[in-house]
Amino acid sequence: MRAPATGKSLGLLVCLQCRATLRASPVAYPRCPRCYAHLHQRKPHSLALTAALLLCAALLYIPANLLPVMYTRTIFDEEKDTIMSGVLVLLHSGSWPIAVLVFIASIVVPLLKIIALSVVLFSAWRRSPRYRRQRSELFRMVEYIGRWSMLDVYAISLLVALVQIQSLAFVAVGWGALAFGAVVILTMFAARTFDERLLWEAPP
Amino acid sequence: MSSVIVCPSCDLAHRAAMAPASESTRCARCRAPLQRAENGSIDAAIALALCALVLFFLSNAYPLVVIHANGATRATTLLGAAGAFYSQGHIGLALLVFITTVLGPILQIAGLLYQLIPLRRARRAPGQDAVFRLLTQVRPWIFVEVFMLGALVALVRLSAYARVIPGVALWSCAVLMLALAALTSRTTPGQFWHWVDRCRT
Repeated sequence: MRAPATGKSLGLLVCLQCRATLRASPVAYPRCPRCYAHLHQRKPHSLALTAALLLCAALLYIPANLLPVMYTRTIFDEEKDTIMSGVLVLLHSGSWPIAVLVFIASIVVPLLKIIALSVVLFSAWRRSPRYRRQRSELFRMVEYIGRWSMLDVYAISLLVALVQIQSLAFVAVGWGALAFGAVVILTMFAARTFDERLLWEAPP
Repeated sequence: MSSVIVCPSCDLAHRAAMAPASESTRCARCRAPLQRAENGSIDAAIALALCALVLFFLSNAYPLVVIHANGATRATTLLGAAGAFYSQGHIGLALLVFITTVLGPILQIAGLLYQLIPLRRARRAPGQDAVFRLLTQVRPWIFVEVFMLGALVALVRLSAYARVIPGVALWSCAVLMLALAALTSRTTPGQFWHWVDRCRT
């Protein structure tokens, strides 16, 4: 079977910023004539960068879930809240739809994102020819849903800003929140450095 | 090279000019969106951006939430949410919240207006290409819709302990979220450069 014509085989580049299709020029560092962005046939060092960012995210996912994200101090006691115990508080206070929402956004989505990106990265590295369209659709879906994990960081920011009634109650930020924010940021960068087109490269 | 379109997601080359300009097409191989309709009105985009600008000021000028508990009253604004992290020494988290809910949206709105208003009179603003490239970097980091949901979660958690009153900014933030989504879908890179190319010729 004849390989389909691609930008690479025809000597064409596509500008990822303004999406113009351009003829590849022989200069060392080509730039888009329309929006002046740097042009690359493929994103440079895509696999290595994505792998490094993903590894950091996977490691930080552990403290993000184990360390407290928030301390609530009242005159009577001090409570530590991890992401999971926050979900349980919501569940017991009777708002189970919100509890399910936070559970999916904060625990399921980051884990799924790390797993899905690892699968996509591994198959791009192997140049696996199977399920290409499914993998590329999985990647695009994961890229879109990843941002929703920030939900808990925003909820904490508002709780901290509001509950500062010094003598009665006080909410402090825990290091878990920083680890958690870092997981979201790192997975977003991992998705951005990954070049989807590597999924469609011909097998070696 | 207007006769060939290369898919930015899988690099497959397509013959262009098969689809009318009012239709959007998808890549034949990976199903990623390839071309979108490029017949949008520049006036509508400017109107939306101005609307978003007003909503942005409302969202920052008024309190998001007011709570009453044990005789004490507290309120916070959008900036106050980022400031809360800063006051506790978490500068990284403060920056994250500030960039994704305040700086990102205002850069997007102001940057688009800077480019669109001269374009309407068939002129290009100085440094227009640089502003365009900056905005494509900023756009993925605007999380207003996620912030809205986070605010909802915080309200539910607080309502168990205090009387919670949603402020003006919470409503304007909700509408800002819709305005930004509409603005983004009306100023896709393809559409945007269609307007630029039109004023060049």
